[in-house]
Amino acid sequence: MTTTVYVPRDSAARSLGADEVAAKLMETADRPIRIVRNGSHGMLWLEPLVEVVTERGRVGYGPVEPDAVAGLVAAGMLDGADHELCQGVVADLPWMRDQTRLCFTRVGVTDPLSPDDYLAHGGLTGLRRALSSDPADVVAEVTESGLRGRGGAGFPAGVKWKTVAGISGPLKFVCCNADEGDSGTFADRMLMEGDPFTLIEGMTIAAYAVGATEGYVYIRSEYPDAVRTMREAIGVAREQGWLGDDVLGSGLTFNLFVRVGAGAYICGEETAMLESLEGKRGMVRAKPPIPAITGLFGRPTVVNNVLTLASVPAILSGGAAAYQALGVERSRGTQVFQLAGNIARGGIFETAFGMTLQDLIQKYGGGTRSGRPIRAVQVGGPLGAYLPADGLDLPMEYEAFAAAGAMLGHGGVVVFDDTVDMAAMARFAMEFCAEESCGKCTPCRVGAVRGVEVIDKIRAGQDPDDNLALLGDLCELMTEGSLCAMGGLTPMPVRSALLHFADDFSPRGGGQR
Amino acid sequence: MINDIAVQFRHQGLDTAAAAIAEHIRTFWDPRMRAELIRRVDAEPETVDPLALAATLLLLTQP
Amino acid sequence: MSLLKEPDLGTPARPGPATVSLEVDGLPVTVPEGTSVMRAAALSGIDVPKLCATDSLEAFGSCRLCLVEIDGRRGTPASCTTPVAEGMRVSTQTPKLEKLRQGVMELYISDHPLDCLTCPANGDCELQDMSGIVGLRQVRYGYEGANHLDEKKDTSNPYFDFDASKCISCSRCVRACGEVQGTFALTIEGRGFESKVSAGGTDFMSSECVSCGACVQACPTSTLQEKSVIQLGMPTRSVITTCAYCGVGCSFKAELRGAELVRMVPYKDGGANEGHSCVKGRFAFGYATHPDRVLTPMVRERITDEWRPVDWDTAIAFTAAKLRDIQSRHGVGAIGGITSSRTTNEEVYVVQKMIRAAFGNNNVDTCARVCHSPTGYGLKQTFGTSAGTQDFRSVAKSDVIMVIGANPTDGHPVFASRMKRRLREGAKLIVVDPRRIDLVRSPHIEARHHLQLAPGTNVAVVNAMAHVVLTEGLVDRSFVDERCEDFDDWAAFIALPENSPEAVEEHTGVPAEEVRAAARLFATGGNGAIYYGLGVTEHSQGSTMVMGMANLAMATGNIGREGVGVNPLRGQNNVQGSCDMGSFPHELPGYRHVSDDVVRGVFENMWGSTLQAEPGLRIPNMFDAAIDGSFRALYVQGEDIAQSDPNIKHVHAALTALELVVVQDLFLNETAKFAHVFLPGTSFLEKDGTFTNAERRINRVRPVMAPKTGKHEWQIVAEIAQAMGYPMHYDRPSQIMDEIAALTPTFAGVSFDKLDKLGSVQWPCNDNAPEGTPIMHTDGFVRGKGRFVPTPYVPTRERSTRKYPLILTTGRILSQYNVGAQTRRTANVAWHPEDVLEIHPHDAEVRGISDGDEVVLTSRVGATTLRAVLADRMPVGVVYTTFHHPVTGANVVTTENSDWATNCPEYKVTAVQVGLKSPAMAG
Repeated sequence: MTTTVYVPRDSAARSLGADEVAAKLMETADRPIRIVRNGSHGMLWLEPLVEVVTERGRVGYGPVEPDAVAGLVAAGMLDGADHELCQGVVADLPWMRDQTRLCFTRVGVTDPLSPDDYLAHGGLTGLRRALSSDPADVVAEVTESGLRGRGGAGFPAGVKWKTVAGISGPLKFVCCNADEGDSGTFADRMLMEGDPFTLIEGMTIAAYAVGATEGYVYIRSEYPDAVRTMREAIGVAREQGWLGDDVLGSGLTFNLFVRVGAGAYICGEETAMLESLEGKRGMVRAKPPIPAITGLFGRPTVVNNVLTLASVPAILSGGAAAYQALGVERSRGTQVFQLAGNIARGGIFETAFGMTLQDLIQKYGGGTRSGRPIRAVQVGGPLGAYLPADGLDLPMEYEAFAAAGAMLGHGGVVVFDDTVDMAAMARFAMEFCAEESCGKCTPCRVGAVRGVEVIDKIRAGQDPDDNLALLGDLCELMTEGSLCAMGGLTPMPVRSALLHFADDFSPRGGGQR
Repeated sequence: MINDIAVQFRHQGLDTAAAAIAEHIRTFWDPRMRAELIRRVDAEPETVDPLALAATLLLLTQP
Repeated sequence: MSLLKEPDLGTPARPGPATVSLEVDGLPVTVPEGTSVMRAAALSGIDVPKLCATDSLEAFGSCRLCLVEIDGRRGTPASCTTPVAEGMRVSTQTPKLEKLRQGVMELYISDHPLDCLTCPANGDCELQDMSGIVGLRQVRYGYEGANHLDEKKDTSNPYFDFDASKCISCSRCVRACGEVQGTFALTIEGRGFESKVSAGGTDFMSSECVSCGACVQACPTSTLQEKSVIQLGMPTRSVITTCAYCGVGCSFKAELRGAELVRMVPYKDGGANEGHSCVKGRFAFGYATHPDRVLTPMVRERITDEWRPVDWDTAIAFTAAKLRDIQSRHGVGAIGGITSSRTTNEEVYVVQKMIRAAFGNNNVDTCARVCHSPTGYGLKQTFGTSAGTQDFRSVAKSDVIMVIGANPTDGHPVFASRMKRRLREGAKLIVVDPRRIDLVRSPHIEARHHLQLAPGTNVAVVNAMAHVVLTEGLVDRSFVDERCEDFDDWAAFIALPENSPEAVEEHTGVPAEEVRAAARLFATGGNGAIYYGLGVTEHSQGSTMVMGMANLAMATGNIGREGVGVNPLRGQNNVQGSCDMGSFPHELPGYRHVSDDVVRGVFENMWGSTLQAEPGLRIPNMFDAAIDGSFRALYVQGEDIAQSDPNIKHVHAALTALELVVVQDLFLNETAKFAHVFLPGTSFLEKDGTFTNAERRINRVRPVMAPKTGKHEWQIVAEIAQAMGYPMHYDRPSQIMDEIAALTPTFAGVSFDKLDKLGSVQWPCNDNAPEGTPIMHTDGFVRGKGRFVPTPYVPTRERSTRKYPLILTTGRILSQYNVGAQTRRTANVAWHPEDVLEIHPHDAEVRGISDGDEVVLTSRVGATTLRAVLADRMPVGVVYTTFHHPVTGANVVTTENSDWATNCPEYKVTAVQVGLKSPAMAG
């Protein structure tokens, strides 16, 4: 009897030695084993997390270092024996059990490139249902589900789709923004590496709904594994008839391609991404015209984030009502939160909107990794606000965050302990903007550089009152005057740092560390 | 030159072609060029395209 | 006038009938749908501050100065990128906007040299203007932060400098290079604060830049600045005039300080160019004041004598006496003249009038003889008038553009930019040319079909296309039935199997399937437009080919509306005008035959002279008659026949045989070597009159300075006529145009006053069309019905042989113009110091020729030496050269073969041999 063992192929796991672990397992196994390279369940503190299929279920061991494999095998790992690294049945772990996995339902569970696995775990149900409905009804379903763009802006996906669907024309596109550049975010990558077919299915549904025939997945070059996996998955899907000129025999034509970025953060901004896809320099376009009307190569184009598109199959298979039933207020469905930074248990946590940040960080994240008190949390990437430790009792939903001067963004949560110098973090925000600005608009191109200089002057105690006023004016100019969210949001971390951690900006405060 | 013109009209019947060539010459040629053509048709007709010969006759009869 | 600053409405006009009404700062304004808020504001008289916006470019939204507030909308949208909406209420000045704009300017100035007072753009700098307008009073960031003040200056271009330290990264230059010019030589390199304008990573001169000046024009600061302005300072007055280079006829503002021309700036209201320019018109005007200019009349008895400078009266008396003397000895018809396509309509008109009325004969011809005379013949036969059917703007409505025997990006660059813009928008391109011209594949443009035919087989190709249209049922029957005649005869001819693509493939070398596909595309792809050049006309069947294209256009219904037509790209600035003005020996002004008694009567009445009813000599006939002895004197105005005409040996023999050669020109050209009288001419900067461009547009040429010679050219001519005993006098050139208008129905409505009022008009301009006619043949054809003319293909006699196995074809390049008399006297030589022979690597290899070798080019009539450049733009067996330099003398090898109908020389096909220049020949 062959024992099935799962060793993740996710690049986080691989960076921790998953490949060696798999090799060692083949070497040392005392019986025939079949190793499946699955995606990661998202419990990154346990990676490489090896799972053994037993009668009880999939028993997990982690983190498994390559050198520990022989000992584990000897200790009866392949029978699911107890061990200090044994985490028990993975599906029963509170971390897993407490999640509501829609996007990530198959990530970690299946072989990402196995079409049979995909089908066996509910794959294509959504697409099949879509193809049997009128495209307009698909758009309506997505609209009713309340799904909003997961890239950060939170724009209702159905509205965008409806715009594209409403323009007649021979050539329309569906583009997936997988240029996941925000610090502390990795959900897009893990989905593409762990369950690429879901993204393909979501894009195909979008294509059907809006009348597009061609799609692009724009993946940042820093994600070579995701690029490889997506490309392979597209090849498999084409062979399976899930893509191509007659998708699932429905007559739908949809061809999908992967394009790789060149290292610019700004290409995560949708119009810069379109420019890059067209082979041009990644530079932000002024809107209007909006991409839904004048998008890729001037054609109507759906641009959605990976998580948005990956939510679609679940919406179509489970129905808009079920999806809409999750979440709170105007934030419906689930969001894939990513815990990172100074945190004890980092990883993916998909849950309905509405859980408080405090719960997420403390209950699931386990507080700081350093064990020191939390001082600040940045949510939504490098342009998100810093929330002070006493401000974490905030329900995670778009409007509540906006009201607190913060943003949910792409769901990245980065935790800092009490050693952090918040003036340095404010400076970093400007520096990041200066580094990553496309250079098109003046407030961002010149303003970010001046922002760094002004913060330096403040920290050095040089005319602090005047320079703080100047910094305030600059933040206002960047917020109100920038062409895109890059320059427009850079003041958010700066202002939040000024608001919550003003002391750090005096020379004395800066010397706190 | 006259033969270069004649060959352009070869696809037409003799009468039509001759008339067209004659008209072309009337429209575009200086009198001394026409005189030279007539001299040449007289002196060395074998060097002139038959269509051009016919056209030249027309020029003589209907100047 | 003082220096003219044209209004800049910020973003381009949006044409269309639908309008939107809104309020800007409380002022109501109604504009076309799609107009930007910025433009709407400007139209209502409110200039919103801006730096990255200019109305020649699409909105970009980068500077963030033009932010406005709109009732009911969040934030502060940029007015340049926000389209108007019905009922919108816009505020352009609020305390919030003021603060934001000052903030933006504060950032700009924190990284900009503070040398305004010594900056070349002082007084003409939008950054300076905006600082003032937004009320910038301090730069709180200081000036010691990160900056670009030490950026290096690129002075490589001979006409302008690029000073990166002054760059504000607005991308206007980059966008102009792409959107306006279509070259895409410029880009932004780096990102963020390090974003820099870059000529593709190299200096401007080594880059793909074609020096059109669009970037200089677009630059709001002194970053891209004319060297002439840096040296001379800002001009103080403007004169609007017309470029004297090619047939596009661009309008320019000549900008001067006192009498000194500082720069030529393309004029946005110019109908032909709408604010664009090329390297020649924009920069290469230095020849006009070049020391080589001859400013004093000169005479001599024999061409071996030294020139003797004389005063005008002497020169005129000398000329008149000689002419009359020759006529008394050899007859009235022993003298004649050639008008120039470089001079004004008025100057041409008086020359042909002098010949017809004072000389008393019709021995007048023009240099159009050697370029577009077949156009005159072919379009008159088929459509009824000798002119292109469209205005340049029309190309913006074309869906399929067929370019035949033309190289617009070099020859007609400003029109080419319009065409490229349309091609980038998705119009499809068919190129018919033996050479792979740049258009075949250039940035964002690729021809659907390149029919790379053997030189001399145009007619076979166009017939084959028509054959496909006819036999595949693609004829526009309703157009043909309603608008045309003689279709059935033509159809019977064109349907002959000998005209099928398969049958002609052997001659043309173009795969039949390619011809079929191109024909189908042209017939079915929407608006089909044909643009052609001298690659059509300068053949033994040039006239036939013009008719063949006209047939194809009629058969596919592509005549008489925007986006279609048959359009010659004229070589010289006033070749259209010189033809219009009666320069052909058989036609009076307005293309009316001299034998028409009624027409002649009108002229005789007005001119007070008896006119000949028989056609006169054409240029080649003049040469033949000179050698025969019946033609003894020639008056040549502004054409260098001793360099530009084919079979130079024959031309030289003819010129030598003449008793009197009178040359009227700017320079002692090659023809002047054979001259007895040299009458110094005026440059376009001194002329007062009109030029007519390839779209029949009559543009004013206004004097920027007084004639350096002391006399206008029309005065010289009138005085010679007077001295010959024929009374001719005008006080001013407008009187000449008035006379033209009185005599010529198509010009009846033209006057200097009207041109000054409207800017320009396109003939016909008369009571039926008081403001001119952009598109011809819209209702009926000029001749009533469009006439189909059968066009049998007759191969040229000029064929490759064992002795001359290669075919030479000729053309020109962007930076040089014609025989180079002007451009060689400017810094344009930096781009093209010599003519070279382009030869296919295969042909070179079998002859042992390497790139850069000196080779001898031999035809059956002559030989010349030039440098070989290996290039695969021509097919094997075809070589190519330009004729810009007299030292090369490309026309030493061209032959006497010519178009059967018009004698236009067959420049484009010469059988030649090419060999390495042997050491024995090196002396």
